[in-house]
Amino acid sequence: MAEHGARGDVARSLCSVAAEITELDGAAISLASEGNEMTTLCISNDFARTLMDLEITLREGPAFEASAGGVVVQDVDLSSPSAPQWMMYASQAAAAGAGAVFGFPVRIGAASFGALSLYREDPGQLSDAQMSDAYLMASVIARAVLTMQAGSPIGELAEELHGQSGLDFRVHQAAGMVAVQGSMSVRTALVLIRTHAFAEAMEISLLAEQIISRSTRFDHDTDSWVAGTGSKGST
Amino acid sequence: MARESLVISTLVELADNLVDDYDVIDVLTVLSDRCVETVDVDAAGVMLAWPGGELQFVASSSDSMRVLELFQIQVDEGPCVDCYRDGQPIVNHMLGSDNDRWPRFTPRAIELGFTSVNCVPLRLRGRTIGALNFFSSHEGLLTVEDVVVARGFADVATIAILQHQSSQNANTLNDQLSNALNSRIIIEQAKGMIRQATDSGMDEAFDRMRAHARNHNEGLTEVAIAVVSNSIDPVALDVLKPKKH
Repeated sequence: MAEHGARGDVARSLCSVAAEITELDGAAISLASEGNEMTTLCISNDFARTLMDLEITLREGPAFEASAGGVVVQDVDLSSPSAPQWMMYASQAAAAGAGAVFGFPVRIGAASFGALSLYREDPGQLSDAQMSDAYLMASVIARAVLTMQAGSPIGELAEELHGQSGLDFRVHQAAGMVAVQGSMSVRTALVLIRTHAFAEAMEISLLAEQIISRSTRFDHDTDSWVAGTGSKGST
Repeated sequence: MARESLVISTLVELADNLVDDYDVIDVLTVLSDRCVETVDVDAAGVMLAWPGGELQFVASSSDSMRVLELFQIQVDEGPCVDCYRDGQPIVNHMLGSDNDRWPRFTPRAIELGFTSVNCVPLRLRGRTIGALNFFSSHEGLLTVEDVVVARGFADVATIAILQHQSSQNANTLNDQLSNALNSRIIIEQAKGMIRQATDSGMDEAFDRMRAHARNHNEGLTEVAIAVVSNSIDPVALDVLKPKKH
């Protein structure tokens, strides 16, 4: 899936910023399908492109593992023969000039969107500051991807990433409810709620409150939002 | 029970929890409950910061506490926010005495019945990772002993986060923080699923996951993950039975 236009620009700049603030040699963002099929969203340069293409071809590496496991993974010395985590990937990535690779999950709670991969030519650990920056980037990217998948305008995205808001707990609770209403994953429910909030030009937290109080619900049969029956049970 | 022995038995209980496979959110929830029993306050709660500095609620002793913690994050103002940013405790701050310090937070806290706040930062090697907050709805200030106990609880909370074997890989503090914060989000997502599937309230949904975790010797987060990944039907979760002492 190629990202074109303004949205693609946003994605590319996320990659460049990730590489820049962590002071590493390359960064890539990949998206995971529900079955953990990976596609590249963006790459910061040719070095990152080579490594991400390699990973997608071999179906193993830091992005796959970070995304599937929801944990940070790293190989701080790809040339080291001591039990490489990814047999094929490690040797080929080393041959492509990579010394160390890092994978950060891009997730919001149980909703896994993919991974941020960071690459360096030299082997070695990330410093504490680089780690913090990478975590921060991964959480910003998670929100950006959610917002992009909900098809919201670019202006909204900038606002979203700027604010301290994050996603409040009501949105997560509402996503859980919608997941059951529509027999879908929490990830799809999060995107759907965001999409509906944008379409109706309403605050996402207000929509979440309506879902929790059952005045709005997602109807599985008609695949649409309908007025609910009102509150049953305490919230 | 005398105050001293109550504090000791509570710390022993918490220490007992910190062995093997404990659930960090569960431990912090128990810790919040025990704070209310041993320090002279009516509500307690823990907030942690993402590696980027954004605060998030992770555990509390009561619902009104949770509401206030979330409100502070929303308006980016309040005792926990200041305590975290300055890395300094806030002791016996009377609400209403100094309305200007938190013009949006204070009226909301008073509306919920609180009269004073205390806050202790969670600190580790010079870095502040969050804050432990105490809210009182009755007259009377915390004594010097109360404050010492509160600091002790803050240290236990920090250890609980730090000691947690959250991932097999880079076991850094950032990893542990990030996992604890993400666990809380998964729990909220699971609560929504349980509410929808069983027509229960959010608190009841939380209690059911906690009861199920206890009865089956599983972690709270583990149960929440089972719910969101559809490997357990919310209807099949245990119902909390009244405790017998």
